Amino acid sequence: MVSRFDQQKTKHQLFHVSLSLATILICMTYMQYRRNWAHLGSFWDSLIVPIVFIGELLKVILARFFGRIEDGVLTVKQRQKKASYFTPRELFGGLTLQFLCTLLYAFICIILGAPVLANYEQTFVLSLLMTLLTVSPTVFLLGGGGALQVCFCEKPDFITKCEDTALHLFKYNALGGILGAWAGSVVAPLDWGRDWQAYPIPNVIGALLGSALGNIYACTHVLYACGRVYMSKKRA
Amino acid sequence: MNYTYLFVLVWLAYLICSGVLLFSRGFLLARVSKTETSTCRRLSTSPNDEYLLTPEVVQEIFKDVNASSSSNLCLPQKSKVIMLVIDALKYEFGVFKENTTEPLPYENKLSVLHQLLQQTPEQARLMRFKADPPTTTLQRLKGLTTGSLPTFIDIGSNFASPEINEDNVIDQIVKSELPLVFLGDSTWTDLYPRRFKRAYSYPSFDIFDLDSVDNQIMQHLPKELASTDWQVLIAHFLGVDHCGHKHGPIHEEMARKLSEMNDIISSVVAAMDNETTLLIMGDHGMTASGDHGGDTDDETNALLFAYSKQHKFFTSNDSGSDSELLQQIDLVPTLSAILGVPIPYSNLGLINFNIVPAVAVPHLSKFQTLLLHAWQNAHQIYRYFFNYALENKRTFNVEQMDTLETEFILLTHRVQTIYNEAAFKSFVRDLNINLRDILNVCREIWVKFEPAQMSHGLLFTFLPIFFAFLLINNSNASDYAKIFKPKEVSYTFLMNIAAGVFGYRYYKNFSFKTEEHGVIFFTSLLSTVLLAFYTLRHWNSIANNWANVKRFGHMPTRLLLFATMAVFFSNSFVIQEAKILSYLLVAVILLLVYELLQLSARLDFRNKFKWSQFLRSTALRLILASLLAICCIRFASTLFRCREEQGNCADFASASTPGFSVKRPAMGKTYVLAVVIIVLYTTLTRLYLRSCGNLTGNSPNVLLARYGPTVASICAGGHILLANSAIKNIQRTHIDAMALVIYGLLLLQIVVVSWAPLMTFVLPPRNPNTISVNGRDSIVPEIFRKMKRMYEGDDDAERRYEIPVVYGLATVYSSIIISFGVFLAMLMIVLLEPRASIGLIVCVVVGAIILSVHGILRYRTASSFESCVQPTFSAVVGWFLLAHFCFFATSHQTTLSQIDWRAAFVGRSSALGQSHLISGTLVILNTFCGPIFFYCMYALLSTETFSLFALFPNLIKSSSSTSSNGRSKADAAAAALSDIATDAVGFDMSRGELALYEYEDVFLGAGFKLATQFFMLQGLKIFCAMLACTIHCRHLMVWKIFAPRFIYEALATFVGLPSLIVGYLLLLRINRAVDGLIKRINKDK
Repeated sequence: MVSRFDQQKTKHQLFHVSLSLATILICMTYMQYRRNWAHLGSFWDSLIVPIVFIGELLKVILARFFGRIEDGVLTVKQRQKKASYFTPRELFGGLTLQFLCTLLYAFICIILGAPVLANYEQTFVLSLLMTLLTVSPTVFLLGGGGALQVCFCEKPDFITKCEDTALHLFKYNALGGILGAWAGSVVAPLDWGRDWQAYPIPNVIGALLGSALGNIYACTHVLYACGRVYMSKKRA
Repeated sequence: MNYTYLFVLVWLAYLICSGVLLFSRGFLLARVSKTETSTCRRLSTSPNDEYLLTPEVVQEIFKDVNASSSSNLCLPQKSKVIMLVIDALKYEFGVFKENTTEPLPYENKLSVLHQLLQQTPEQARLMRFKADPPTTTLQRLKGLTTGSLPTFIDIGSNFASPEINEDNVIDQIVKSELPLVFLGDSTWTDLYPRRFKRAYSYPSFDIFDLDSVDNQIMQHLPKELASTDWQVLIAHFLGVDHCGHKHGPIHEEMARKLSEMNDIISSVVAAMDNETTLLIMGDHGMTASGDHGGDTDDETNALLFAYSKQHKFFTSNDSGSDSELLQQIDLVPTLSAILGVPIPYSNLGLINFNIVPAVAVPHLSKFQTLLLHAWQNAHQIYRYFFNYALENKRTFNVEQMDTLETEFILLTHRVQTIYNEAAFKSFVRDLNINLRDILNVCREIWVKFEPAQMSHGLLFTFLPIFFAFLLINNSNASDYAKIFKPKEVSYTFLMNIAAGVFGYRYYKNFSFKTEEHGVIFFTSLLSTVLLAFYTLRHWNSIANNWANVKRFGHMPTRLLLFATMAVFFSNSFVIQEAKILSYLLVAVILLLVYELLQLSARLDFRNKFKWSQFLRSTALRLILASLLAICCIRFASTLFRCREEQGNCADFASASTPGFSVKRPAMGKTYVLAVVIIVLYTTLTRLYLRSCGNLTGNSPNVLLARYGPTVASICAGGHILLANSAIKNIQRTHIDAMALVIYGLLLLQIVVVSWAPLMTFVLPPRNPNTISVNGRDSIVPEIFRKMKRMYEGDDDAERRYEIPVVYGLATVYSSIIISFGVFLAMLMIVLLEPRASIGLIVCVVVGAIILSVHGILRYRTASSFESCVQPTFSAVVGWFLLAHFCFFATSHQTTLSQIDWRAAFVGRSSALGQSHLISGTLVILNTFCGPIFFYCMYALLSTETFSLFALFPNLIKSSSSTSSNGRSKADAAAAALSDIATDAVGFDMSRGELALYEYEDVFLGAGFKLATQFFMLQGLKIFCAMLACTIHCRHLMVWKIFAPRFIYEALATFVGLPSLIVGYLLLLRINRAVDGLIKRINKDK
């Protein structure tokens, strides 16, 4: 499959990536505006989590928007899946899954060295952010059951092409986020005595930067593939 | 069999270790000690001596103080001296606090000092006695007698006290024919054999023994005080130091010991005559936990108390000496001044007149006396300093030398013009500043580096690792037999020996300083060339294999490894290394679980994810196990020992904020927990071995494995409980006997393994007439069944029984390694503290979980026998991290003051003698228990896949069997899947570890490859440590953080590489025994 700039898929990918990057840019601007790092660890005081939430939601809406064009060619299964999207069962499953994921991330934070009996709020914010960056988009897109299937099974047959594109990009986002948050701890032991070395801040920023890097990587991939096709065509 | 690989391993280990050794010689270079001695012209007051002190002589001296005849004088002796050295007498112990209602155990116990200070303030002095680090007794004694700065590398030689050959005050006293009497710690008599007129020396060996040395001294001291045939009496008490090590300063035992000291001091004060100066001193202080060795204020601030019954001391008003603080190196010139002996040649200290009794010298005024003393001292220091600088060129900065010299010349002119006290005071002030400058210059530059040795060391550590990576890591396990032929390897060894001899003979021609450098340089050079030659010769296959490697494979693992190595380059990371390691280790386990989950999810639920299926799957069980492992790691972080730089570390909490001590006497819970965990550990391993069928029969190793661990765990538990119990009157020999039993069991295990290692039981083929009953329950049913079949005349069954039945063949390799490991672990547990032994077992649990998770992962990803026997990169890194994590989990830290010396005394009260070798071994075993244990067990990584399959086939085969009753379709699919898997692996896994024997060549090659992979990881680590030291060699923290870290890592390398070789040797021995067994069975048939 050759990729071209004027393809729906490419457009979708580029829009998607620019949405992610814009979200992170807004986060950074917001942090710059606040000028105080301590708020990153608090749930009510910081707008990072809502901003990321809206960003992820927008990406899902984008995928839906591009998906509308394909509506005519859906298989039966895909139609069924689509119809059941807003049923209470799916909604409930999705919420439970996200909640469990947050708990899992909180647990991982603690076993990786976060204080056990203190800093609940910080741990909660970090794990919420990680959930938003990794699991939530998939859940928003496919519902709880669909997300589980995508994670654990071979590619299910109810996924449309458009959703597949989005899922592929979510993967970069999630991987970047996890690695970034993990690597963010590198500044924790340093003896520089800066205020931004306090517990969740490097990890939060690391997660954001990591997902930005993941998106940039994905973007480069898309652009490179398109650019090569474009150049070869031009030469021909 | 195939011992070639073993020799290659030895060769590689030698190369890496020698590189490290070379580097350490350049980096931790010791001061060049000089053997010249000082002499002097002794001015005497008795008329029949050569230089009688007369007014004419005095005039002649002061005509030209710089003339050679007057720059080498000794004034007459001022008094006799009694030195009471009380080991670890901290400054705070002697300070009397007037208005404390509840003094701490160490406070206000030395009340006699306070009394004397109150009664006769001019005849008593209490001063801070500042030690130079390292604050270990041997180094301190050297400093206290030679007056020179101790060097860093001496610190390791605390167990091997060599005789001092540098000029020192003891030798000077002996030469001046002043008789010396010594009582106490035998370190003195080791340092100065045959110097004392009478010596009552007792070994300082047993640090649990608070009283016996002190009691011996007390027994002889009154008699010696009464006799008059000595001029200098030295008594060295050890009780306080031992009490600190055993109980810490805040303990009632400390109060008792200090009160005892108080009594001794008062009795000495009562018994001494008027012409005697009493000096009471501590050689170093102690931290809040009672240990010492480092350079914190707690450890360096000792106490010095001086008292003279009749004579007043000079005051700081007379002399300008510091009356608050006395550097320990200043003691030597001061003693020389009191006794009228020459100041030792290599002394760098200044005379402190505050503790010199003001005995008038005939024909000399007070300031003239002081001037002569001070000027002799200055001359001696300059002589030493400039001679040293002359002989060791480029040691000191030239400009600095010039300014120092100019100042000295100015002073030599100024000294001629001093005729009154005021001039003397200003002169002596400037002189002292100048001399202190010299001291500081020396202190800064003393430990210089040798760039040549350091760079060679770095190079020759890196090159073997690099070529081993190219050659061994990129070849197939089956090709090693072609690469390393026995003959070639033996030629390699011969050539290396030749190169070594060449280096030893001609090192001077290549301007190397030592033979060692020459030998290492030439052997390493030759070996590198040989390795390069090997690499080039097999370049084709290497390049082919390399091309097959995925380009960005194992990225997360590589990242982890990079992080591990990066730790060395920042002091903050080194300080927090324990936490970083646990972070990385958890990451490795998560990575393994993720890989496994991804894989098994694809296999288990192809299309539909179902919770019920997930809950029953193997994957979930493995995830739970990994969670357990991670929780264990998290728990182990409570066992970490903190270091001073981390802040709020209880070990180093300054004594000014009292209220708690680290060595709380009764931590009953910890001890009981430790014992429970030990018992659990042995029980579980026993159960495991029994379920493998390895505890059947009567072969020696089986018997040992059946009963040994039980005995060992009882002894270990008993040792922990008794050694730490509050009951006082347990005989040490009884406690030690338990430790001895464990030592004995390990030795027995080694003997048994080398004699008859196999833990299998061959059911003897029976003919119908004889039925042998071995008395083991599990065999009886077999026999019964056989008899039944015989009576029924079932031919088929009879024929089947002609195939010999061997118990435990499926785990024939791993069982022996495991049972060896149990004994090794028991030995370490008995050496470790109870808390630390919990850490060791926690690490063993983590190791077991890594093994099982990896075993299953490996099976599912393997495509052939070779890949199945070769562990994945992440598991290798995980095992490597675990080995190093275990170091921290067993309550160790990479600081020099936190070495656990008490391990040297476990089980040593009487039976094992006092060899320093054994002590050193025990301490090393304690400190590096992690690397030693896990490196010895490394072969389990490749065997455990097979034994797991043999033991729990359904664990590996995916969960098909559990869900079989549901849908036959899924069942069939799963069965087909396992068939596919078996096909993919290409051999019959169900035979367990016997398959290893069938592919013997590949297996041994893979074991060799695995060992070299660990070599590479360890080599890379030590290389990074060395590189960090090189980069940071002028860093502020180099001696405090980077150098100790390097020393620890170097020792871990020196210990770890041989452990890997031992592990491989074990593998070879078992393989040979299996070979024998199979051949015997075949012959019988």
